[in-house]
Amino acid sequence: MGKEDLVSSNPLRALGLEKEDGTDGRRVGLVMARAGLGKTAILVQIAMDSMLRDNKVLHVAIGEGVDKTRIWYDDILGLMNEEQKIDDFQQVVDEIMQNRMIMTFKENSFSAATLEERMEDLAQQGVFKADCLVIDGFDFTDTDSASALGELKNFMEKNGLKMIWFSALCHRDDDRVSVNGIPAPCHEVDEVFDTVLLISPEENDMKLKTLKCSAACSVDAGKSLLLDPATMLIKRA
Amino acid sequence: MSVDLSNVRNIGISAHIDSGKTTLTERILFYTDRIHAIHDVRGKDGVGAKMDSMELERERGITIQSAATYCNWKGNAINIIDTPGHVDFTVEVERALRVLDGAVLILCSVGGVQSQSITVNRQMDRYNVPRISFINKCDRTGANPERVTGQLQDKLGLNAHMLQIPIGLESDLDGVVDLVAMKALYFDGENGETIREEEIPADLKDAADEKREELLDAVSMFSDELMEAMLEETEITTDMVKAAVRAGTLALEFSPVFIGSAYKNKAVQPLLDAVEYYLPCPTDVENIGLDLEKGEEEFAVSNDSEDPLIMLAFKLEDGRYGQLTYVRTYQGTLNKGDTIFNTRTGKKVKVGRLVRMHSDEMEEIDSCGAGDIVALFGVDCASGDTFTDGKITCSMSSMHIPEPVISLAVIPSDNKAQVNMSKALNRFTKEDPTFKTFVDHETGETIISGMGELHLEVYIERMKREYNAEVEVGAPQVAYRETISQRADFNYTHKKQTGGSGQYGRVAGYMEPLTEGEYEFEDKIVGGSIPREFISSCDKGFKKSLEKGTLCGSPVTGVRCVINDGAFHAVDSSDVAFQLAAVGAFKEGYMKAKPAIMEPIMKVAVEGPSEFQGAVMGSINQRRGMIIGTTEEGNYTVVEAEVPLSEMFGYSTTLRSLTQGKAEFTMEFSSFKPVPKSISEELVKKYQAEKK
Repeated sequence: MGKEDLVSSNPLRALGLEKEDGTDGRRVGLVMARAGLGKTAILVQIAMDSMLRDNKVLHVAIGEGVDKTRIWYDDILGLMNEEQKIDDFQQVVDEIMQNRMIMTFKENSFSAATLEERMEDLAQQGVFKADCLVIDGFDFTDTDSASALGELKNFMEKNGLKMIWFSALCHRDDDRVSVNGIPAPCHEVDEVFDTVLLISPEENDMKLKTLKCSAACSVDAGKSLLLDPATMLIKRA
Repeated sequence: MSVDLSNVRNIGISAHIDSGKTTLTERILFYTDRIHAIHDVRGKDGVGAKMDSMELERERGITIQSAATYCNWKGNAINIIDTPGHVDFTVEVERALRVLDGAVLILCSVGGVQSQSITVNRQMDRYNVPRISFINKCDRTGANPERVTGQLQDKLGLNAHMLQIPIGLESDLDGVVDLVAMKALYFDGENGETIREEEIPADLKDAADEKREELLDAVSMFSDELMEAMLEETEITTDMVKAAVRAGTLALEFSPVFIGSAYKNKAVQPLLDAVEYYLPCPTDVENIGLDLEKGEEEFAVSNDSEDPLIMLAFKLEDGRYGQLTYVRTYQGTLNKGDTIFNTRTGKKVKVGRLVRMHSDEMEEIDSCGAGDIVALFGVDCASGDTFTDGKITCSMSSMHIPEPVISLAVIPSDNKAQVNMSKALNRFTKEDPTFKTFVDHETGETIISGMGELHLEVYIERMKREYNAEVEVGAPQVAYRETISQRADFNYTHKKQTGGSGQYGRVAGYMEPLTEGEYEFEDKIVGGSIPREFISSCDKGFKKSLEKGTLCGSPVTGVRCVINDGAFHAVDSSDVAFQLAAVGAFKEGYMKAKPAIMEPIMKVAVEGPSEFQGAVMGSINQRRGMIIGTTEEGNYTVVEAEVPLSEMFGYSTTLRSLTQGKAEFTMEFSSFKPVPKSISEELVKKYQAEKK
């Protein structure tokens, strides 16, 4: 299977992610789940899909190290190769890894302003100009999170970023939800997001529910993709 | 003589350059009666410190060899093993960390956690080594042990807490308050050898109470007894606290911090006590061996003296009576006169003399058990070899030695230098498997190769200083590799008829890329088209071809050669004829198999103030580097990247000027990757020109 086939056969096509190039407007996405269900795995697959489509992705990991984040990519790529037998695997890996950069912050040292400063620095030095941003570990419980999200959205528009995806941790015992069914702690900022996915374990399946979806999305809101619990790879339902 | 292992400590001492490691070791040796006078590192008496045996180490500020020394402290045998911090000495580091059970990390109270501290801490994390920290130089202006403890927490991620607070600081440093026993300790006498225990000074009482409270909070989770005593507000004994600190330290979840000034002879003895109390004895830690019969599968060694013997040779020393080999026994018992097996070479050796390196003398012993560090006489082996009693086939260090990535030519200045250089190279290759040497048959030059510029520089200096071998050195060259990208068939006939007996051999088959390993040969001949006795000749011929590729003259790796047909002549076929046929077949197949040049890619980590992050990344980008990521911690940022080695020459100068000398970098081998087309063409052109 070649690089193009990997893109076309990706179940994420159902979310219309390939249309984030501006024709469908810029997109802000969110993956929610309880602890340990695979938010990072989903973010990495969204990032990887974007990298395969030649977008530059900046993966921001808050509270995690570079190595740990890198291993996620290596593992997911290895699993994809096992399942789909990628032609010239190493060459594909070398090629797409040029499209990724990982930036890690300690929980207390991350701020939207610092991130913007770093990204501008990277672009000015001609090192890396991100098309997409993936932010894992953003603290939505922080009282300033709404303003930080606003800042990031402005930055996205100003710098022509195609998409930003976040992950958020929700809790079983917190039953607050928005009108769109987005659980706490993101229920009060749900208008920021165009697409919201929720990992939901049901019987023997791990469902990837689409709580909110833009016009380009061909999975009806409320329907779901599946997450293979053994590999954490996204599958069609 | 067997030893109670609970009284043995095998420890390493690691530090950033100039944190006072040598001074501290000197004091340790003095207080443990190993030496009878203290000589300062740069002292007026010109003697120099005991551990500064290698002038070069002091000049470059790094430890090059894993020196081992031994001392006794209050009935405990402490083996101190120096751990090299520089990543060029990967194998040496791995070996040292294998041998030790615990470590003391020394930090400067002014400089705090520095780049080398981060490197050694990372290595210790990798090998699960429990550690205690000693914040040295508290007598210096600007000393701030509390700030350094904070850095241990923030920068190294250690759950570090002070077990002492200073009585006075900088030039007023008088002693320390022990937060476990809640006593003030002063160090009297000319060399601080007399410890005076007193009540905590009134002005420090509140601070001591507060710090002890913090300490108890931090360690209570490692002891139910302590937790209970705290909750029930009953008496908290010294033993309870010590046990909790020890449990946390051994579980790698707590790191006790001690303070003092080795130079001013303050608080070294409590550090020795701490080694006894808080660092593991050999039976406290799990050591991992590799089962060679199961493809290097890991297994935990038993630490039991009754089990089959496993020991690792970790240091060689040239002595009056021949080679002295330091070994650490992991399990089993070794008796004088036993026959042991070297699992690398498969050779049997008889142990004639067995000695324990005592304070200032060698003690002949009859046996040694699990956890011991002893020395063997007259055993010919290389450093890193594993010995067993033959009942088990295992290794304590991986048999996979990384391939050298850099090489340079050394030319002896005269005949005497030539002889000395040979002696030196013979010794170095035994000591360090990542250091290799060979003679280039085309130029007649001796080439040495290793894991980095510094690695080779150190050996050249040692050649000059220890062996008096004056050598001239060529420019460092990157060790490129060649490999093939696709399968290709070959069918080559070697025929020579020039009078007398001729030469005839035909070799047919194919070659294909090999993803793991360097070379594989497979014989798929059926029907005897190549007679059995000439199959190994074909293998030899292929191996010979691998030595030098045709693109740039570098060794060829990652090739699987399969022969499936051939022909022979009853009279003219010979070993040589089939070797030459295989060489011809290889050449034929090689050019069809899309050969490519591979270059060593290094994993580079640049650490410096965040304000220089952009400049650092720009410099890596200019060097064909791929930035993997950045880690921002406070005002410091670590940039991790993969950069071709050929682009890294002179990087330290560039980095210094870019960052006003505030950033540092470390580099280690990562992998071989194909070079870009333009560079490949250049290398081929250069090689062709050299051949002419």
